[in-house]
Amino acid sequence: MKKSARQLLRFSVLIFFALVFLLPIYWMLNTSFKPESDTLARPVQWWPYRPTLGNFLEVLTSPDGNLLRWLWNSVFTATMYAGFHLLFCALAAFPLARMKFRGRELWFWFILSSMMIPGVVTLIPSYILMIRLEWIDTYNAMIWPGVSDAFGVFLLRQFFLGIPRELEEAAVMDGASSLKVFLRILVPMSVPALVTLLVFSFMACWNNYTWPLFVMHGDMQTLPVGISSFSSRYNTDYGKLMAATALTAIPVIIAYVLAQRHLERGMSLSGSKE
Amino acid sequence: MRREQRVNRKAGVNFERSWTPWLYLLPHALFFLGFIIFPLFFGVYISMVRWDPLRDTIPFVGAEHYWELFSKGTPQNEFFWKTLANTLGFVAVSVPLLVGSALGLANLVYKPIRGRNFFRAVFFLPGVLSVSVISILWRWMFANQAGLINVVLTEVLGGTAVAWLTTEGAAWVPIVLGTLWWSVGFNMTIYLAAIGNISRSLYEAAEMDGAGSWAQFTKITVPMLSQTTLFVTVTTVLGSFQLFGQSLLITGGGPTRSTQSVIMYITEEAFGNNQYSSAAAMAFVFGLIMLVFTAVQFWLNARDAKRVRL
Repeated sequence: MKKSARQLLRFSVLIFFALVFLLPIYWMLNTSFKPESDTLARPVQWWPYRPTLGNFLEVLTSPDGNLLRWLWNSVFTATMYAGFHLLFCALAAFPLARMKFRGRELWFWFILSSMMIPGVVTLIPSYILMIRLEWIDTYNAMIWPGVSDAFGVFLLRQFFLGIPRELEEAAVMDGASSLKVFLRILVPMSVPALVTLLVFSFMACWNNYTWPLFVMHGDMQTLPVGISSFSSRYNTDYGKLMAATALTAIPVIIAYVLAQRHLERGMSLSGSKE
Repeated sequence: MRREQRVNRKAGVNFERSWTPWLYLLPHALFFLGFIIFPLFFGVYISMVRWDPLRDTIPFVGAEHYWELFSKGTPQNEFFWKTLANTLGFVAVSVPLLVGSALGLANLVYKPIRGRNFFRAVFFLPGVLSVSVISILWRWMFANQAGLINVVLTEVLGGTAVAWLTTEGAAWVPIVLGTLWWSVGFNMTIYLAAIGNISRSLYEAAEMDGAGSWAQFTKITVPMLSQTTLFVTVTTVLGSFQLFGQSLLITGGGPTRSTQSVIMYITEEAFGNNQYSSAAAMAFVFGLIMLVFTAVQFWLNARDAKRVRL
């Protein structure tokens, strides 16, 4: 009896917190469907009584910014970044986990120690490097600078180390090349880790704000930077601002529901969101 | 036959040629050296010259930009330390909240309950949004006029509205709460994984001795999670040090720089005032302060790396 009462209490507390957590999302959607006069109306309207798609249409066709173009920029750069990041990190993690050669430990610790460099320290020199390379306002600036990090190598090396060696030892005895061992044995056995890293780095690039804020402008902006430039244009016109925010947030929320497991794992393994 | 290929059970395989491993390392190494290691040293150089995109000459000034930070009267001195203090204040307030409520939420959703996966997903959900989305959202929640928080304060609770975004002190509330909402679920997920590793028999024994759930939480769960708490605290401290988007987009750093974070000031100095060299010097001083925490995080990661190998 006492136990089920406690259970009910815990359930109620959880429901309360869940509602608190969902409230800002509800408020975003609620605001985005209201005509401008209703967003600031008092007493407040808890429901869009005069629902309209006008805000969405307006931000999608706004002369102040090209939301669909920003969407494409985000899709393209995040896809390219995630793909190359996975490729380079997997290729590098393979010898670090599985081959015997001089300097292996040294190189691994060299890569790992770069995790101690705070992002802000390289922000300005990297920006100047982008100017010199003439990469400002190009996709190159979004794809290449972060493509070789320590985290991806660290994660995949740890995973490769956990895979039993017997299979590849047998393959090597039979004369299989290293590339064959990598593609036919290691990669197929690491699919969960590879997908986790892919999803995670896609999201990291998609959500990145600080770097693209300074290297991507105008039509080349990514979605997070683009909507923040809306934020200064529309200032207090919260209906349009929330419509743009909702258009940005909803695809990510849907993607999260679909790929939840991989994403949570990648994030908790990285210990960082930036 | 291929005599180079031999198996060494301890260390791995000797493949084709001695340079084969480096062939695999090459693509990663190129971009790693070019875009992570080079900028580090390039940054040292930038901070010791007067780099001006509009001029042809680049005069060497040595440690001048560093001295500016420590000599009274310069704007760099005044604003760097002010915004650093702001950032430290944010760290001091947000970290206990982010760690404590993550542990609390994890403890609530860990035990089997109806809708457990739904609750977990809801608490983690804001973490997948970008900082600009959550910042614009929380600026609207706390808007001086018709923001939801003021609506609840006045229409539901019958109190008076607060000009959250433009009052010194109060302006931190949307930044801290927005950050809490954004990233508490991420810490919760780490705690959930760790709670799963605590032996059930400890709880069963405690139950037989008549320990209530609060006693179990404080006497078993919390002490058993001390390693996890260290990891979560260090990563959260580092995350909070990076405060940027929330300040920029919720309050614009105002009123009168009271919510400006140090990274926001560094970017203002570089991209607003075109003082790239001075900003690079500040970034190094700030990085040095963070090094204490990054070193602990590195040590924790390194320990994990060793543990798997043995």
